[in-house]
Amino acid sequence: MAQNEEQFRPLIDKMAELKDTSELMIDLAYSSLLLNSRELAEEVQALENRMDDLHTEFELLVLSRCITPEQSKDYLGLIRLGLVAENIADAAAQIADVVLRGLKPHPVLRLAIREAEETVARVTVSGTSVLIGRNLQEAQIHEETGMWVLAVRRGDAWLRPKPDVVIKEGDTLIAAGYSGGVEDLKQLASGKSSPT
Amino acid sequence: MGKLEKIQYRPISVRDLLVEMKDMSELMIDLAYSSALFNSRELAEEVLELERCVDSLAYLLDMNAMIAARDAEDAESLVGVSVVASAIDKISDAAGDISAIVLRNIGIHPLVRKVFEKVEERLTRVEIRPDSILVGRKRKDLKLASRIGANIIAIRRGKEWIINPGDEETLLKGDILIARGAPLGIEELRQVAEGTLKSWRNRRGAKRRTV
Repeated sequence: MAQNEEQFRPLIDKMAELKDTSELMIDLAYSSLLLNSRELAEEVQALENRMDDLHTEFELLVLSRCITPEQSKDYLGLIRLGLVAENIADAAAQIADVVLRGLKPHPVLRLAIREAEETVARVTVSGTSVLIGRNLQEAQIHEETGMWVLAVRRGDAWLRPKPDVVIKEGDTLIAAGYSGGVEDLKQLASGKSSPT
Repeated sequence: MGKLEKIQYRPISVRDLLVEMKDMSELMIDLAYSSALFNSRELAEEVLELERCVDSLAYLLDMNAMIAARDAEDAESLVGVSVVASAIDKISDAAGDISAIVLRNIGIHPLVRKVFEKVEERLTRVEIRPDSILVGRKRKDLKLASRIGANIIAIRRGKEWIINPGDEETLLKGDILIARGAPLGIEELRQVAEGTLKSWRNRRGAKRRTV
């Protein structure tokens, strides 16, 4: 069984990545709309392309298992889950499209998405920052700055802000919140101040 | 297949409709993945219930948006609302597809379940029985987070949904609670809601670290 689990690992990892990416896309798509940010909307489109690759890789992994007739239903469930993630990603891309087509978002959209958050900030974590080596839960960024981390960009990869994501030097944090929090966040990321 | 609800125009603010659809779609995704990973038919049924609500709301939203447009400029900015609403509808359909995996007995490979069970917090559905100590209590007085490490994320009362209920929300008999939390806490909530447990177990601070 343990060996079986080992062989199964790549498939599970790929599925988790599909699911996480699709959910990250939704978060970013809403944020792009809220902030009328082309930059974020373009990231959503880039992730949509990545999703297509991921989905294909996932399906190939499923198909390359030697499946017995008794197992076929279990694997069908997996294929369906992959499709769902793909559909969710499409919906996110549709939302980002509104921004990319230059439609001025109706005030209702902003109000519906989040009531008070006004600004988005991208900050890069420098080598001297107190955040390095802490996971997002320990980093207490919201408590310190009032900003919510929407996503972490590491090189070409986008990470969802799960509590156990450990912050590394060079990470870009994308966060939304009151404009007053931006300066605090910059200081935290540059290492000029430490959380009290 | 249930009969489709007849849709009639009602004046509701587009904003309220959009907020409701968005909240519902997010809840649906969480519920749907939980229903698949823990093979729970009852969670899957709740997803379908929500899907029907979102479908009806989508019609109402379009009708209200149409009436709100008076000129070309209005139409240009309102079309975005309508596109977003249809994306939300798509997300809720995707959640419905996940629950169909459960309801049609397709299933998910057991190893996937095993792995997700370790990382994902459990969602559960519990009904408040008339003799439960929860009846008539306000959400804030229960202090579920500190007591058992669980949280009520939605309440279904008949056909009505209350998503992210406020502190002042009073629980009634017959309410269906959707709760998120650690398996032990969730189990305790179930027993309390079903009335088999008449007082909370005294576990010191669960395993939450104090702030």
